[in-house]
Amino acid sequence: MPISEAEIVPAEQYPALLSATRRGQAMSLLRSHATLTRANRAIAMRCAELRDAVLDLVDRLRQAALIADWQNVYDATHEIRGLAATAGLPATGRIANGLCTYLDCVARFALSPDPEIVQLHLGAILRSVRTEDDAARHGDTVAQELAALVSRKLGEIKDSASGIPPSSALLKRSA
Amino acid sequence: MSGGAFEHLKALVVEDNQHMRTLLRSLLNALGITQVLEANDGEEAFSLLRDKQPDLILSDLSMTPMDGIAFVREVRTSSTSPNPYIPIIMVTGHTERHRVEAARDAGATEVLAKPITAGNLFQRIGEIVDRPRAFVKCPTYFGPDRRRHVDEEYAGPFRRRDDFENDLAVR
Repeated sequence: MPISEAEIVPAEQYPALLSATRRGQAMSLLRSHATLTRANRAIAMRCAELRDAVLDLVDRLRQAALIADWQNVYDATHEIRGLAATAGLPATGRIANGLCTYLDCVARFALSPDPEIVQLHLGAILRSVRTEDDAARHGDTVAQELAALVSRKLGEIKDSASGIPPSSALLKRSA
Repeated sequence: MSGGAFEHLKALVVEDNQHMRTLLRSLLNALGITQVLEANDGEEAFSLLRDKQPDLILSDLSMTPMDGIAFVREVRTSSTSPNPYIPIIMVTGHTERHRVEAARDAGATEVLAKPITAGNLFQRIGEIVDRPRAFVKCPTYFGPDRRRHVDEEYAGPFRRRDDFENDLAVR
């Protein structure tokens, strides 16, 4: 698109969120330690409720995985990755993020997910969500291991789409 | 509650997850924004936008029947939109590059990745308050300028390679 066809509307020419007189005060509020503390307290007060919500979602994920309902598996996992860390379950969030990345890529290549990959993630999510401090109890290590597995699987999917044989096949051939 | 600068503002939270809606409301309340409207999806949100005229929108990306991308496009380009310039923060659990780019290309002012933290949300609101961006209007896009960095040294009229090539072709 040539720039000559684009019209630029400067920020001064449309209504601002706040008037110039309020901006300084607003920025002080946004940067203030007291505001941040108040907001973090608001999150902390909802932590138990959010954790219950994550548990419900994990149950939904488990049910969907049982019947290989991949769309529901994705939807539940996506909700878990969004809520888990705020609910004090950061490792659960990371594991769910890894599964979402995998499912998203598989869907983009119009493939079916590998049930074993889903089960590995589901098992890890089930264990991490039941611990008091999921990150401290090997949760982070498990999340990292699964992320490495997902990364390898995604590499294989992309190689296969571009006609490159998977590394395991190359190893077999050279042996 | 210190209120002050933000207390007269009205925010609209568009999110199909009730827990996330409540969480966002609490964070906005902590900032002094007490007038918070809530919608379950893009259609309901657009109706609230017309009826209640909020000043700021926080919208999720994945919703049905109208998702966040379609909602942002509707706000920016519909002839019935009451405020195409309204700041919109797209809140999303989708961290994949193509989805973030889709949100930006629909006309979102800021993109905030979940998990949400107070610091991240306040940083995005701070960007809107402190560094409001110019809007670009062209046949394929209407929304905040997607180029965040302005090269102060740059003096020429061309911003893209094809602008330069088109100009050469004309000459």
